[in-house]
Amino acid sequence: MTDLLQLLFAGLSQGAVYALVAIGFVAIFTVSGVINLAQGEFAALAGLVAISAVGSGLPLLAAVVLAVVSVALVAVIMERLVIFPVKRMTTLVSLILTLGVSTGLKALMLLVYGPNAEGLTPLTPGGFSLGGVSIRYQELWILLIAGVVSLAVYWFYERTLAGKSLRACAEQPVAARLVGISLTKASLLSFLIAGTVGAIAGVLASPIYFTSWESGLTLGLKGFVAATLGGLISVRGAVLGGLLLGVLETLTAGYISTGLRDAVAFLLLIIVLVARPAGIFGRTAEARV
Amino acid sequence: MSLEVRGLHAGYGRLAVLHGIDLTAGEGELVAVIGANGAGKSTLLRALSGLLPVTSGTVHLAGTDVTGYGPEKLARTGLAHVPENRLVFPSLSVADNLVLGGYTRRRGPASARKEARDRAMALFPRLEPRLEQAAGTLSGGEQQMLAIARGLMAQPRVLVLDEPSVGLAPRLVGEIFSALGKLRDDGLTLVVVEQNARAAFAVADRVSVMDRGRVVLEGDPAALSTDPRVSGGFLGGGFAADADATTEAAPATGATRAADRR
Amino acid sequence: MTRRLPRIGAHRRRSRRGDVIGIAVVALLMLALPLVASSSVINVGVYALIYALAALGLSLLMGLAGQVSLGQAGFFAIGAYTQAVLVTKYEWSGLPASVLAVAVTMTAALLVGLPLLRLRGHYLALATLGFGVIVTVLATESDFLGATSGIFGITKPEMNGRTYNSPTEYYLLLVPVVLLGLWLARNIVESRIGRALGAVNDSEVAAESLGVDTFRLRVQVFVLSAAYASVAGTAFAHWLGVINPNAANFPLSVKFLLMAVLGGVGSVYGAVVGAFAVEGLDDGLRRLIPELLPGAVGEVQLIGFGILLTTIMIFLPGGLHQLWTGARRRMAGDTSAPDPEDEGEARLEPVADDVPLLAREGRPAPGTPLLEVRGLTKRFGGVTAVDDFDLTVAAGEIVALIGPNGAGKTTAFNMISGAVTPTAGEVTMAGTRVEGRKPHVFARAGATRTFQNLQIFASATVLGNVMVGRHLRSRSGMLGAALVLPARREERAVEESARELLDLLGLGEDADRLAVDLPFGRQRLVEIARALALDPDLLLLDEPMAGLSGTERRELARLLRRLRAGGMAIVLVEHDVEAVLALADRVAVLEDGVRIALGTPDEVRHDPAVLAAYLGVEPEDGAATAVAEAGAP
Repeated sequence: MTDLLQLLFAGLSQGAVYALVAIGFVAIFTVSGVINLAQGEFAALAGLVAISAVGSGLPLLAAVVLAVVSVALVAVIMERLVIFPVKRMTTLVSLILTLGVSTGLKALMLLVYGPNAEGLTPLTPGGFSLGGVSIRYQELWILLIAGVVSLAVYWFYERTLAGKSLRACAEQPVAARLVGISLTKASLLSFLIAGTVGAIAGVLASPIYFTSWESGLTLGLKGFVAATLGGLISVRGAVLGGLLLGVLETLTAGYISTGLRDAVAFLLLIIVLVARPAGIFGRTAEARV
Repeated sequence: MSLEVRGLHAGYGRLAVLHGIDLTAGEGELVAVIGANGAGKSTLLRALSGLLPVTSGTVHLAGTDVTGYGPEKLARTGLAHVPENRLVFPSLSVADNLVLGGYTRRRGPASARKEARDRAMALFPRLEPRLEQAAGTLSGGEQQMLAIARGLMAQPRVLVLDEPSVGLAPRLVGEIFSALGKLRDDGLTLVVVEQNARAAFAVADRVSVMDRGRVVLEGDPAALSTDPRVSGGFLGGGFAADADATTEAAPATGATRAADRR
Repeated sequence: MTRRLPRIGAHRRRSRRGDVIGIAVVALLMLALPLVASSSVINVGVYALIYALAALGLSLLMGLAGQVSLGQAGFFAIGAYTQAVLVTKYEWSGLPASVLAVAVTMTAALLVGLPLLRLRGHYLALATLGFGVIVTVLATESDFLGATSGIFGITKPEMNGRTYNSPTEYYLLLVPVVLLGLWLARNIVESRIGRALGAVNDSEVAAESLGVDTFRLRVQVFVLSAAYASVAGTAFAHWLGVINPNAANFPLSVKFLLMAVLGGVGSVYGAVVGAFAVEGLDDGLRRLIPELLPGAVGEVQLIGFGILLTTIMIFLPGGLHQLWTGARRRMAGDTSAPDPEDEGEARLEPVADDVPLLAREGRPAPGTPLLEVRGLTKRFGGVTAVDDFDLTVAAGEIVALIGPNGAGKTTAFNMISGAVTPTAGEVTMAGTRVEGRKPHVFARAGATRTFQNLQIFASATVLGNVMVGRHLRSRSGMLGAALVLPARREERAVEESARELLDLLGLGEDADRLAVDLPFGRQRLVEIARALALDPDLLLLDEPMAGLSGTERRELARLLRRLRAGGMAIVLVEHDVEAVLALADRVAVLEDGVRIALGTPDEVRHDPAVLAAYLGVEPEDGAATAVAEAGAP
């Protein structure tokens, strides 16, 4: 029982990270139909920037802010340089473009930060034990901040004019243009959101899961799986999908085999894609964003 | 002139669809453009509202040359386009659809936005009780009303509508067109593209008939409705136009001509 | 500059020669390399040749089937591992082992493809990525496959007492394999299968309606693509002597993708060029970057790949092949741009109305019921678009479906032809239940359709469009196409019959133009010609008159009468009511999804419900009655 609770808790905190990455996928996909394969690299880059900033003597909070801001900037630059110039964004083109960015960012991180995996200093070091379940303070931070960020993103899409205009672009791009919403600005804004949320995921995860130039690949893929579980167009679905995936993974690792952990995520992805393309929580038409 | 189109050419890629369209609409005038499927009506509206690049020709909106403007800029300049099939934002509430309709006026005075909304509500009182409902749950007629109301929220000088009657029961078509008539009477300039010639003829001040990318006839509805080329169906009048046609026009219809050949 | 990825076989005639020249140049360059290069360069060349095979498979998948796979390395690894197991554990010799390895991989691809290929676009790409990860994980976890360290001791191949153990020897062993791979790929691209897949890329629903079983073809190409990867995998295993889970890795899949894209997805030989370019770049950057940046270790050459992938996609989406064709076109002074003012009318041969056309042996006798529709219903959300619709159509009659815009005519058409699954009801075509099945089933039952919003195959010529219509009237499959010989005669027959049909419709002169360059009205005729190429018993036409001139309409009406005289059944949706009443034997009227009338044109003309639907007035209204009276012949 304690084991189960321990696994569930670890799974939720892992899942919260996936959820944030998944929100990034949803933000971009709904507006421009692009699956951003560099989404995981946003997280990895943020982790590495923060680590090196702390290493060069910056206070932790300042390092985190610096990381988030610079990654958000990278996302915006990526949109302008790589997405914006393309007039006809087909599936093939978007996949290859974002794959190119992802590969380039990876190599850049390798060049700048070297090949080793490192962990960022936790916001609060240490932990405690509650009824036999050991809990790290960083895990609580992850859950808390991920929860706040998800709610903020949700509020943005539901309540603000800018958020509603993004939903309008996602649902009826032609009508959105006709009422005067600029699709290119919307796309830029969606990358800004994805970069920010992805970077937050990266700095939150780094103290526990460690960061290397390569860690974006798995993180990005898991985030995509989470987003797909939630139907790929819903923030709520992405969050639920992330938590579900995190829990399933830790349960598999705990009860079956650590090695199969990654296979489970993709098996789940394939099953869900084939059986319920609208996601397991999905009612496609109504649940957009 | 509120809207003045001269020698407009446009098309898709290498395929030219419009071959030199001239169209004008004065202030407070309701101009109907009719024609069969494939005549180029929707292409004309897409070119007018900047969704489709213009190959050559000019478009003036209230004296300003707006040729080559994108849809966002045109919306700001005062042209609102109510698209074919309504294209409301389905998961957003009716109220939010209206808010987005006023997107280009978001920095303008709140009082003007409220006034625009009150006017739209007065025009379509049916929308009032449904303001908090998701737009996707409205009936077809209500969605059309919402699409028009959304267009009005931009406080436009010219409102262009693409086939507002599609898929609506005749009574609703009447309701929509009488609303358009009211807007015209309030001084708004309207251009309505329609296949339902009868509905269009009933309220239009002037009618342009399109065929294969050209305006082939132009004039006031009373004169045009008796023109055999319109009532003959070849130009999209069909059955519907016959209703307004007098009996002397009917012998020239396609059916009778075809029957003669048999 | 085109922003779309070009597709294989797009400009058929030009590409046929272009590919042959390309392949010849590539072959010469490949063979020249060992004469001039050092052993370490040839070593790079060996990897380039190995990877070229996998990239070629991927290029076929992307160019022909329009699908991106991010898991090509998974199949590469399955081939390599099978080979390694057979050679090291069961002591098979290389050649039979590789045959089995390819067979095993193809079986795996079939099993993976059957569920996955129901997915599209992004979803398929990411599902294949997931597949690659799963292969890596399974290989890592399996002790039988040597877990993380893999399988060692795979020997270099020996044949006729000769061991292929130097780079040059192995290189020369591989060159013929790659050339064979190129030749087979090119033949498939140029075949009936390639043509059908090109059509699917342009408009899936139209290709389906002409009898192309898109799912089946996609699975075939997927399996073929995996076969190429597995051949590469076996060659890789023998050359490296060891195989480990890295062979299924995502970065390798990315490399294959980069090779295919760099060479140009629109060409078969491009993958080989791309493979050499990427391997050369890889090797060069591995040496160069550590010299520039002393601290750099690991896979730093990836930065070149990333930059290359993005810049190619933005500036040269057709890859190196695009440079090559662009240069050729400039040299040839291509002036194939259409004349924008050219909108002459298609001239049909002036023949009397009742001369039968396209009659054929074995067609059901006039009056035999062909199509039976019972209780057909479609609801979208809360809206009922078509409600309990019944219709029977017999051979040799023209039935018209009319109604106001939005009455559900096109939805009814889509359900009958299989493009849309009905909520309820049955559709039987010549004894086959077709509702809810795909349009190719409908086509197989002898019926096809045209589309209100044209679904022309944009990348094909007019002739190419019509030849797709002959898909069901020809039969050469993937294998026959690959080996070319049996397929060639059939191809000639198909082209001949397609040209005849075009002449008949007055489109003969446009045969070799790109279909999208034609004026709207003639594109409609191309669609009709394409449908007629199927030799159908039943033809569904969705607004065939729209966009035609008065003359063209009369000619089309005459054509339809002649087809009727030839025994064909025709159902048409039409907005031009008077034209319909003059043409049809029977008319069904839809309003709000309900069939409110069915009868002869005369009956319908006087039907009070019809008058009310069209005019929105009660029948006693003077004007309406007057029209009805006057309109009667």
